[in-house]
Amino acid sequence: MDYKIVMPVLSDTMDKGKLIKWHVHEGDTVHKGDVIAEVESDKAIMEVQTFKDGVVKKLLVKEGDEVPVKEPIAILDTETKPQAPTKKEQAKEEPSKEESKVVQKSEIPSILQELMPTSAPPVEGYASPAAKKAAAKANIDIETLQKEGVLPKPAHLKDISEELLKRYFTPKALHLLKEYGIEANSFTLDHKIDEEEVQDFIMKNNIPKPFPLSSNRKAVIKNVEESAKKPTYLVMETFDIKPYKNVKLTSILIKTIADVMQRHPLTRAILEGDRYLIYPSSNISVAVAKGDDLFMVVCKDAQQKSLEAIDEWVRNLKNRDYSAEELSGSTFGISNLGMFGIKRFSAMINKKDSGIAAFGTLYDGKIDVTFTFDHRILNGVDAAKFVSDLKNSFKGNG
Amino acid sequence: MLYREALNRAIDEAMAADESVVILGEDVGRYGGSYRVSEGLFAKYGAKRVIDTPIAELSIVGNAIGMAIGGLRPIAEIMTVNFSLLAMDQIVNHAAKFRYMSGGKMTIPLTVRMPGGVSRQLAAQHSESYETLYASIPGLIVLAASNATYAYHALKHAIFLNDPVIFLEHELLYPMEMEFEEKANFDPFKAEVVKEGDDLTILTYLKMRYDVLEAVPTIEKELGISVEVIDLNSLRPLDMKTISNSIKKTKRVVLVEEDHKTGGYGAEVIARITEELFYELDAPPLRIAGEDVPIPYNRTLELASIPTPDKIAAQIKLWGQNHGL
Repeated sequence: MDYKIVMPVLSDTMDKGKLIKWHVHEGDTVHKGDVIAEVESDKAIMEVQTFKDGVVKKLLVKEGDEVPVKEPIAILDTETKPQAPTKKEQAKEEPSKEESKVVQKSEIPSILQELMPTSAPPVEGYASPAAKKAAAKANIDIETLQKEGVLPKPAHLKDISEELLKRYFTPKALHLLKEYGIEANSFTLDHKIDEEEVQDFIMKNNIPKPFPLSSNRKAVIKNVEESAKKPTYLVMETFDIKPYKNVKLTSILIKTIADVMQRHPLTRAILEGDRYLIYPSSNISVAVAKGDDLFMVVCKDAQQKSLEAIDEWVRNLKNRDYSAEELSGSTFGISNLGMFGIKRFSAMINKKDSGIAAFGTLYDGKIDVTFTFDHRILNGVDAAKFVSDLKNSFKGNG
Repeated sequence: MLYREALNRAIDEAMAADESVVILGEDVGRYGGSYRVSEGLFAKYGAKRVIDTPIAELSIVGNAIGMAIGGLRPIAEIMTVNFSLLAMDQIVNHAAKFRYMSGGKMTIPLTVRMPGGVSRQLAAQHSESYETLYASIPGLIVLAASNATYAYHALKHAIFLNDPVIFLEHELLYPMEMEFEEKANFDPFKAEVVKEGDDLTILTYLKMRYDVLEAVPTIEKELGISVEVIDLNSLRPLDMKTISNSIKKTKRVVLVEEDHKTGGYGAEVIARITEELFYELDAPPLRIAGEDVPIPYNRTLELASIPTPDKIAAQIKLWGQNHGL
């Protein structure tokens, strides 16, 4: 007997439904309760079940067709004895000769295939379930790639993601993605994306390039932040300086300042708790730029050293590494940007130093100097006496 | 708030709110409870509601079931989960089944409280974790309280439920000082996301929650990942939704329990995960559990028989390295 399966009324407002997908073919045996189709109502996609056992005689509509409710969509022959087992039974029974081909082709029982989350063919290879799922979706053949040594064994999700990226991005484009920390799914993954496209994306969206701080940079930041918290003031003066032949200007500055510091104890002092620690030596921190790094290298006991010794120390400064010992123990600093033609600038006090002198460029035998002093250590008068003594000393040098 | 104070407060408030709530067990009355959970209740509610019983676990639960049938809301205290085996018949054959066998006419609003797990050198007969036994019995609700907030709210909830609840505690938690939070609309059947993370879900319960949290910084540092920690709280029913949400995000799962590995409660949880979330997994699930031995008395051997923060970190690190983390 023919039994008509009709388009069901799935909601009060539904007058027609769209057949999204057939789950059976003509000739298939179905049992009561089997899902035979998916139908889209005005609200959702729902499954259509058969209420009778039988063999599908005819499918009356095609996938995608819209059909008024209660119109027949399929005809079931409920009298013919089922020829072939149903899908569910297939899994349990030994496959017949004809069917064995089908089973071999898919290589896993159809019941398992139904359970697979995607309709893509099963993925072979040694990989995690999540990796296989992702590979199936992206059409990546894990087994072959593992044979070629492209994918590791076992393969994990991140390996598949990387493989996927390699497919859609050129190596240079991938490098850019990593460099800028851009997510791959910011792009439409339907073509090979090259460096230029990523560059365009970066420009268009004004994406900054992250630049991690070097340990030196972090140390400098910490130092200057601390420095900025200090109560400081500036003293500006112009010194007459006559450079010696074959002696670096910086060496002359260090030597002269070191000697004058001996007459001004507070320039050899640091603040510690509720007391000053006044050191006997003139230990001067000197700002040294080495590549991108900035160091405050300390010239120790400069008052005892000859100008020649200091000059040798200065000349070797940039060609070597500094020990922790060499980067500590100062009480006053100097910074010199004169070699860049800078006329005048101010500097940040290094660590616990009492002050720092910033030297500009030498012009007409003169140099503009800006002193930054820690007001907690030197008052204006102390600073004035020191600077004035220094000015006379430089004059005397000449 | 101390963990035991949270439990005491829950019982006290339940008893104050409803006259039908009674508590019975060994030393729960004048002595105040072996773990001081019922301290002060005898003075407050008297011998008719705070009932000292003989050392006879079968009768404690049997009587409590009788009380429940008769209209009371009994809280039965068993000194340790090991001794509850004596009451197993009452719990399994009676408490768990009466509602079903009477077609819903008979309800058993019973709470059986008992501590389990490894304390300090109490030897094999006082150190077991039998959550797997109770969580496998249809008709029972099994809750495991790891912290004061859950202990208070969940115990109160359990007392007023019309079904039998096995309320598991841990001996080492009683004297622990813990944060306490008042919560409106508390759901005792919901697992707690203790710490959020992206790369690995660690499921745990009872005391192991603390050992896991201690191990997490090392795991995160050594593997360079972020770890999500979930306290299961309710063992039956199991909150698969919270677990599922987490695993769909992290793709990896480790279960840490103090119970023995073979047939331990974790076996059930991992089976459920494999069944329901197989295709989400990017690594084989890992179970870190107690060794398959009766818990030794010797302290060194005792610690060797259960997970510790060091062992948890080391095992997860090794597992992570082997499975693409």
